[in-house]
Amino acid sequence: MLDEKIETIHSEFLKEIPEADNSKKIEEIRIKYLSRNGLLSSLFEELKNAPKEDKPLLGKKLNEMRNSIAQTFEQAKAKVDTTGKFFENKIDLSLPGITRAIGSKHILTQTLDEIKNIFKGMGFSVTLGPELESDYYNFEALNFPHDHPARDMQDTYFINNNFLLRTHTTPVQVRIMEKEEPPIRAIMPGRVYRNEAVSARSYCMFHQVDGIYVDTDVSFAELKATLVSFAMQFYGSDLMYRFRPSFFPFTEPSAEMDITCFLCHGSGCKICKGSGWLEILGCGMVDPNVFKSVNYDSEKYTGYAFGMGIERIGLLKYGIDDIRIYFENDLRFLKQF
Amino acid sequence: MKVSLNWLKEYVDLSGIPVSEIIHNLTMSGLEVEEVINQNEIYKNFVVGFVKEKIKHPNADKLSVCKISNGTEEMQVVCGAPNVEAGQKIVFAQIGAIVPNGNFKITKAKIRGTESFGMICSESELEISSNHEGIMVLSSELKEGTPISEALGLDDVLLEIAITPNRSDALSHFGVARDLSAIFDRKLKLPEINLEEYENGIKDFASVEILDPINCPRYSAKVVKDVIVKESPDWLKQAVQKIGMRPINNIVDVTNYIMYETGQPLHAFDLKMLKGNKIVVQSTTVESQFTTLDSKVRKLPANTLLICDAEKPVAVAGVMGGENSEVTSDTKNILIESAYFNPSSIRRTAKALGLSTDASYRFERTTNAGGTIYAAERAAQLIAELSGGKVAQGTIDVYPNAVKQPVVTVRFARVEKILGYYVEPEKIRKIVLALGFEITFENDEQISVRVPLFRPDVEREIDVIEEIARINGYDNIPTISSFSVPLGVKHDESSFYDKVRDTAVGLGFYEMINNPLQNEKTAALTGNQIGVLNPQSLDMAYLRTSLVPGALMVAAKNFNVGEKNLALFEIGNVFNKNSEETEIKSFSDFKEETKIIFLLSGKASLKEWHGRDKNYSFYYLKGLINSFLNNFTLDNVLNDSYYHSGNRIFDFIFAKEHDGNLIGNGGRINKEVLNYFNLQQEVFCFELDLNLLEKLSTQKSKYNPLLKYPKMMRDFAFIFDKEIEYEDVAEFIKKNGGSLLQFVRIFDLFESESLGVNKKSMAFELEYFNENRTLKDEEVEKDFNNLITLVSNKFNAKLRGN
Repeated sequence: MLDEKIETIHSEFLKEIPEADNSKKIEEIRIKYLSRNGLLSSLFEELKNAPKEDKPLLGKKLNEMRNSIAQTFEQAKAKVDTTGKFFENKIDLSLPGITRAIGSKHILTQTLDEIKNIFKGMGFSVTLGPELESDYYNFEALNFPHDHPARDMQDTYFINNNFLLRTHTTPVQVRIMEKEEPPIRAIMPGRVYRNEAVSARSYCMFHQVDGIYVDTDVSFAELKATLVSFAMQFYGSDLMYRFRPSFFPFTEPSAEMDITCFLCHGSGCKICKGSGWLEILGCGMVDPNVFKSVNYDSEKYTGYAFGMGIERIGLLKYGIDDIRIYFENDLRFLKQF
Repeated sequence: MKVSLNWLKEYVDLSGIPVSEIIHNLTMSGLEVEEVINQNEIYKNFVVGFVKEKIKHPNADKLSVCKISNGTEEMQVVCGAPNVEAGQKIVFAQIGAIVPNGNFKITKAKIRGTESFGMICSESELEISSNHEGIMVLSSELKEGTPISEALGLDDVLLEIAITPNRSDALSHFGVARDLSAIFDRKLKLPEINLEEYENGIKDFASVEILDPINCPRYSAKVVKDVIVKESPDWLKQAVQKIGMRPINNIVDVTNYIMYETGQPLHAFDLKMLKGNKIVVQSTTVESQFTTLDSKVRKLPANTLLICDAEKPVAVAGVMGGENSEVTSDTKNILIESAYFNPSSIRRTAKALGLSTDASYRFERTTNAGGTIYAAERAAQLIAELSGGKVAQGTIDVYPNAVKQPVVTVRFARVEKILGYYVEPEKIRKIVLALGFEITFENDEQISVRVPLFRPDVEREIDVIEEIARINGYDNIPTISSFSVPLGVKHDESSFYDKVRDTAVGLGFYEMINNPLQNEKTAALTGNQIGVLNPQSLDMAYLRTSLVPGALMVAAKNFNVGEKNLALFEIGNVFNKNSEETEIKSFSDFKEETKIIFLLSGKASLKEWHGRDKNYSFYYLKGLINSFLNNFTLDNVLNDSYYHSGNRIFDFIFAKEHDGNLIGNGGRINKEVLNYFNLQQEVFCFELDLNLLEKLSTQKSKYNPLLKYPKMMRDFAFIFDKEIEYEDVAEFIKKNGGSLLQFVRIFDLFESESLGVNKKSMAFELEYFNENRTLKDEEVEKDFNNLITLVSNKFNAKLRGN
């Protein structure tokens, strides 16, 4: 008797449950089968009156059915969302998704960020300074005397006799040292200006990162090691490098760092003008005259400084053949990075 | 500077050293070789040819057909030059030759139906002169088949070296040779003077007086009599051409040759043209005019150092000689000037005249004050040899202001401290000696050297350390494998801007970077513009006073290329004088501020399968700016204000203020400005002061405990008169909604005829909760109903829906 009832109710449930496609119907099923006064409860009531010898088997069967119903019910219930609507079970999955716009940083910013992160990882602070700078900070304090040909190395936009648009970010070195005592360990990114005719190869402004480290025992060997580490992190660890003597008024000895051309790997190509080498930065030991202008004792302290251009990196890395495109801000360019 | 390797080899023995190694080592010791021209490579496949026969071309009047012998075979060549004749020795470019001028390869060709197997060359085609009048006819003594590089001495390697401004000594073959001698440890052998002097003393012919010894510390001179001015011999012409100069005559060519040899600029005067046979060196006190030997009338500022005779100027000292005293074909007697001038004086003059000559370039970088006599004598000797002249006995040398030779002490420990490795004293010794320094003292700890006058860049210990480092090779400086980093607080002054950028990018904006230089009118639109003294063009003569114009120019450019939907931002500095009249004398006379500009234009979203397209509007701008600011915890710090007019750039204006200070503003660009920038669609911009924002946003927000009790929501819609503004209603609701009302949000707004004339409907959602307890339905209902009455009465509004 009870045995048959169990079968009947179970098959009835299995017939009804697929039709329950909204929360109202789901709730009706719950009340009909699973509530306190539901069909299952009544079956358990009946079990009490069943012959003693049949009880274990019937009980087991009844429990199995209850579990099965409860499980199927939960599955059906889960398909219905809170608004009571049944989830659609077939949509065109191939339609484009609904997007939310995201912009991007300028490629020069991205390059600068990468450089910044490497130097921050090596314990450098990041310091900024003004673009409209005084002759003193831009030249004089950096050991560029008046009427000296070294000034020709950097074509300058003058505001008047004493003010100008900075030609490099190096003046920030002086500003830091004026304010703080060694140790000084900082990089100085920023925009600089050069009074040059605008062409595919040169622009009236560009971006630089300068760096400086001053302490009681800083040597050229440490400068080399720091910049080699930077270059390997930035350009790849398989590069070869070399340091060539050069000249900057604010460092001595001065050097330029070359790395193997990453296009031709040193065999010579158009980008490296056949030399196999690419110049990536200038550097050197801080000139005692610079220390003098910030009242540092150059017997006690030594330091190194370096500087690199950002635009050039992109020209080399992404094959950009016209520097002006950086500043056109054509959306088709901006979206590429 | 162009340097000839053959020339260098006259002063230092480089035998056995491959050219590639010479080049590499020059670069690695500070004389960067930028270009190498190997003449043997260039003139490969060019040989001496013999014209055996010349006949007229059958199909062309101006062409001839020649039979050329190269010593082993005969070839037919079509030639267009009028001066080709049978019996000539000529330069024959064989098949495979690459003609330097034009860089084209000689191949077998058919010219007007006649086959041609090569080319007969002119001087200009070989790039040995600019002469292209016909082919080059060679000496008949040359053997056919001889390579041209050998026949014409074009077997040199020419190096273009980038000389840094400190290395004036290396602006000469002597200087480069000296470095090579130090690098390769080979002896330097400079030519000795071997003068045959005429009996009459120089004092009989000329005298020199220096009236400005500050700017002319030394003036040496030689006189050569009875010269015959003519073309220079081939070797000298070739030498001068190799270093990129045009041969002129045997006098001028020698002075140029000696300048490139020794670094000492020389000038030859026609002695007859010097009134009183006298040289007077003096600076002008007033502006004047002078005609230089290039026949140009030059305006000379006051304080120009001039070389004069007894009556008049004859040269701008150190820059260029005068037309009135230059050597001509009639010149018989010459005075050779070999002077040392104050570098800054020459530099000022060269700058003022906008004239940079080989001489001024060297003088302004400091020449060798100790080498004037040597150069004058060497020039006199060569001129006498080449012109048949006689050198007057003796040298005039007026040296009122002796240039001092510094003595520098170098501590070995200091070398190690700076370079980071130990350099053996013996090595240091060797390097300084090879570079021409004189050791005056040495012990276990240090060495003192007297610096030669040709190295004016060396004055201090660090300068000598640099010499040691570069000659010993930077490659020998070890790289260490670890270094210590000073601890302490690390600052990143750019981190706020980084966060600003990330937020803007997250909101869908693309970053632009604009040129801060613009024209005056544009810069004046938004502030008190600061001008540049020496702009490249009027379009880039002023600094931007705001980021708005630059952004609008970018919008215009993008519209022109069909990019009409823009969301852009830029972070950059803007520059404003305190007032229009301010003259910038100090940093307090102007402001340099870092700002951010946002620009929106076109469509915010395109028409899609799931929805309509949407245009950027004032409300997008306002909403995005508020979203942006939300990331900087500024909720209750900034006040908003709105205007419809009163700004030169915007018409719908939205401003953010703090304590009465404007933090930023923006809105819709007005029609006038749109026209100015040639913009054909609506543009919205907002500019914020990041320096102020950074200060405000450093205030940390406090943690709010999470709400433990449920919220209750209510909503209502009213019909209002159209003029009633949202904010007035919203503020009224907030104020009068009771203590349980926490938030008010407008969720619907529309106008329709069905609402009545000049009416609109605004629907609000109200959020009620209490942080300490669960609300009762009745209390919320009471407040809500009360509010309905208040709003109805206050705004004469009609509740909708009942």
